[in-house]
Amino acid sequence: MKVAEKYTDAELISAISSGKDLNPAILFLYQHYSEATRSFIMSYGGNEQDADDVFQETVVAFIDSVKKGKYRQEASVKTFLVSVAKHVWFNELKKKERAGFREKQFESTRDQQEQDVSHQIGDLEQKQQLRDLLSQLGEPCQKLLLLFYYENLSMKEITAHLPYENEQVVRNKKYKCLQQLTGMIKANPVIAEQLNALIK
Amino acid sequence: MPLQNTNALIDHLDESFATAPDQVASSAYIEMQRLIAEDEATAREWLYLQLAVDAVQDAGLREQVAAVRKQWEVQKDQAVTYEQHAATIPAGGRVRHLYRNMMRVAACAVLIAGGACIFKYVTLSSSSLYSEYYNAYELNTSRGAATQDAMERAYAGKNWTAVLSLFSTGKDRNNKTDFLSGIADLELKKFDDAIGHFEQVIASNSHSGGDYFEDEAEYYLAISWLAKNKVNEAMPILEKIKANKDHLYHDKVEKMSFTDLRLVQYKENK
Repeated sequence: MKVAEKYTDAELISAISSGKDLNPAILFLYQHYSEATRSFIMSYGGNEQDADDVFQETVVAFIDSVKKGKYRQEASVKTFLVSVAKHVWFNELKKKERAGFREKQFESTRDQQEQDVSHQIGDLEQKQQLRDLLSQLGEPCQKLLLLFYYENLSMKEITAHLPYENEQVVRNKKYKCLQQLTGMIKANPVIAEQLNALIK
Repeated sequence: MPLQNTNALIDHLDESFATAPDQVASSAYIEMQRLIAEDEATAREWLYLQLAVDAVQDAGLREQVAAVRKQWEVQKDQAVTYEQHAATIPAGGRVRHLYRNMMRVAACAVLIAGGACIFKYVTLSSSSLYSEYYNAYELNTSRGAATQDAMERAYAGKNWTAVLSLFSTGKDRNNKTDFLSGIADLELKKFDDAIGHFEQVIASNSHSGGDYFEDEAEYYLAISWLAKNKVNEAMPILEKIKANKDHLYHDKVEKMSFTDLRLVQYKENK
């Protein structure tokens, strides 16, 4: 198996924050930390697929937290990842309504660290709802917004990827796509309520 | 909120991404910040826009992590296969002779399999997969030659230059003319132009809500990305086709080796 680049915790955080070459950092997380969460998930009712899905969710939440400067580095990356994975799995169990004995047993194992991560990784439920809304946008809009806001391509570079004549056409299309998405978010009652509470 | 103000807020959002923390902000930037702080409607719109961009960035990150996860799973499967193979080799004293012979056979098998794997790994590329999977599109000629238009006749005669020339001079452009021109470009190895045509078909359908030549354009778009050595662009399209049993090219894509595709993806992402 190809061995990923070796990182110390500080190097890993720095690589993720810079966002320049994220793939080796993600591969490192998989090679070094996925097993640590697997045994935990499987001992609390999950199967291998659950463990892989939870770890993917964990990696996304961790990278997002680092990129947004919310990760406080109070514990090692491994400890933090395990806490995030516990948090993700607990939410998943709640969603699947596997309440009762397992959940109660699980609840008793939740430590302060694990409860603390929820502040650092944000509202997973809201993220899921936003993802669902984004997936309802047409594919050209999704692609355009991803190229601009995730890949950080310029308008000119986007014309090479998408069938738009020039930068102005791309700019206008981007306005429309973003407005369409915000319109869908505004129409979502749960998110709107959360935002109202935030503004008031 | 008026459309112009929303667009100005979007520009402000884009500027905030591009502005380094230590960079001096423009007066327009400061004015917009003031408006966000003082005007509730603007503040609300600003939050919605930030949420929308958050959703996009979250989706992008998720896609990237999922791609690395796949790469890691392929690596892990290969390692498990190797370990299982190693575990099947027996150990013991009484059957040392047999054991030695078995080891020799196993070593040969591993060498041959390893050699084949290395050969495959070295020779496999997006463009080799393109050569393997590309078949020219056959135009349905059930209407008969008499009713074919000039472009269809040029296409049927494999006169690719004429197809492109008719497209560039023609006034009645539609998904079919774009699609046939895309195939003509593919035949002439003008892959970027082909991609442009196929994406135009998909964009046009997305705009109109139709599906004229949609399935064909999707399949050949994926094939064009392979020709361009861009397997990362081709994979999501092929996976989408594979997942949709009603897709015109579902059976064709299902016969493709996704192991080879992922191996190429791994090579190209390295």
